[in-house]
Amino acid sequence: MTKPWWPRVIAGAVLFVAVAGHAQDGEKAVPDSGQQNFLARCGGCHLEGGFGTRVLSRRVPADRAMLERRGGLPAGRTRAAVRNGIGSMPQIRAAELDDATLSSIAAYLTRAQ
Amino acid sequence: MRPIDPRLLARALKRFEGVVGAAHVYIGAEARTGYADAMAPRDPASYAPQAAVAPANVDEVQAIVRVAGELGIPLWPISRGKNFGYGGSAPHFADVVMLDLVRMNRILEVNVAMGYALVEPGVGFDDLYHHLVDNRIPLWISAPAHTWGSVVGNALERGIGYTPYGEHASKVCGLEIVTARGELMRTGMGALPGSKTWQAFPYGFGPSWDAAFMQSNFGIVTKMGLWLMPEPEHTLSMNMQIEDEAHLPAAIDALRPLKLDGTVQANPSFGNVVRSLSTRATRSTYFTGRGPMPRSSLEAARRSAGVGNWNFSIRLFGDPRINAINADRVRKAFAAKVPDQFTTTEWHRGEPLPGSGSPVPSLSALGVVDWLGGPGGHLTFSPVSGFSGAEAWTQYTTIRSMYEAAGFDYYGGFTAGQRYLNHINMILFNRNDADMTARANTLFANLIATAADKGWGEYRTHTLYYEKVASTYSYNHNALQRWNETVKDAVDPKGIIAPGKMGIWPRSYRDAKA
Repeated sequence: MTKPWWPRVIAGAVLFVAVAGHAQDGEKAVPDSGQQNFLARCGGCHLEGGFGTRVLSRRVPADRAMLERRGGLPAGRTRAAVRNGIGSMPQIRAAELDDATLSSIAAYLTRAQ
Repeated sequence: MRPIDPRLLARALKRFEGVVGAAHVYIGAEARTGYADAMAPRDPASYAPQAAVAPANVDEVQAIVRVAGELGIPLWPISRGKNFGYGGSAPHFADVVMLDLVRMNRILEVNVAMGYALVEPGVGFDDLYHHLVDNRIPLWISAPAHTWGSVVGNALERGIGYTPYGEHASKVCGLEIVTARGELMRTGMGALPGSKTWQAFPYGFGPSWDAAFMQSNFGIVTKMGLWLMPEPEHTLSMNMQIEDEAHLPAAIDALRPLKLDGTVQANPSFGNVVRSLSTRATRSTYFTGRGPMPRSSLEAARRSAGVGNWNFSIRLFGDPRINAINADRVRKAFAAKVPDQFTTTEWHRGEPLPGSGSPVPSLSALGVVDWLGGPGGHLTFSPVSGFSGAEAWTQYTTIRSMYEAAGFDYYGGFTAGQRYLNHINMILFNRNDADMTARANTLFANLIATAADKGWGEYRTHTLYYEKVASTYSYNHNALQRWNETVKDAVDPKGIIAPGKMGIWPRSYRDAKA
């Protein structure tokens, strides 16, 4: 039942930029499933102003607190953080976030710039 | 505890795989990590479960329960496992198999005209919110501080929200239960085939059982009816910062008659200064010493953050003309007792929901666990207070002094019901600090004992403290405890559903302990 957070959580302009970043010239901007899954399942904390972003900004340089802007985040690190929890972030178990969805999110964060 | 025979466990897991598919049975490290208490006040591995099974529907729940009954495998049902501070997704001892209902996440019905929903245990507050908003359904959810958790789980644990429907347990209307024998049962009007009023008339015919499945281990709830509040035309939020903390009792006494006569229908929550500061920054922003923050540092922090010693909002919902009249009554009642002034904000139907008084999806409340720099954890202590300024003040000062003597900042608030206050306070600690967690546990046990001596009982507690709290409800040689055990033995003779939850142990476990 989990629906995306993003229609109401982030400003439309930010979403447009994020989505359009993956579009080729002349193509309609279509968000990939990894990005959609990230927004739906992680966006509650890891977008601008979220709990995760705020907690991370106390520990890492400002441009690294937003996971989508890290660029090249290794998939193994995303997977470990999600399954084991990290710092004040609770773990998220397979029954609520299956391996395939997690893999798509991890792959998205690896290639997101 | 009673260990599970490994051969029986292996047989059970094999059969569970046959019911739900191997992909939805979890064993070994995956289960121990996945179902650990994320805010654990002690080594989470010490009470992490052996295995977990996640059914997708009621038939699968029934099949699992039948296998568990046949083989004597204790199950620990959870919905979404986001009950942080009270145990999260963990059981209270390791020798169980988690029955994880998170995949049962259908919103089965929303009745707009009658204002109710029928939902499964895996439905989160955010799911229900989006369903209502996306389908332009003019009904509002009520939710606790964060919206990650289960609508069903929260109501069954008697969680609290901040709209006029905030006493969630009282808005439950009709349950579907899988019994310990694996039978399917519906409560209230749901027991009548073809009934049109399962979610409308809460009592049915004969004994009413909805409340017996709350904070209990008598059955597994697979569907729940919940009344939802019609979207109001207008809301008016009256916000006050109490500068001098000694004015808290007067403010509570000002609110009481307004709650009793229905002028104020939502549940205002008086939060202390640390509650306000911890959502903004870590403690080290304000103070870098050890032990509880000194009064002088708290006062300086409070002034720089622009918050009161106590902070609260009274939100009025409904017709703007009636809200204006009620706001006037609120202002007069408080002006006679406290010097601080209200500031107000308004919302009108059609405007964006944030700030309206409707919960919106948010996890920012979890940020408080970062107060000490983390990795953060918390234990929530939740005694009920009489609705009087004098009693709340005694409870606050007693508990605060115990926090400070144990080296912790007091973090707390009083949330007003119609005739009671829930004094929800949290011991915030770093999970990797053995000294701190030891002190947190000692403090928690002492709080339970001290509260009981003064006639204060908890409305809810962490899984690790079920027995300690249950033992304080001891009137007439534990008559209530014996009643609970009698019911447990009758409805779950093999003791397979959440043994020990709320201190209610099945006979076989009691015999083993004796």
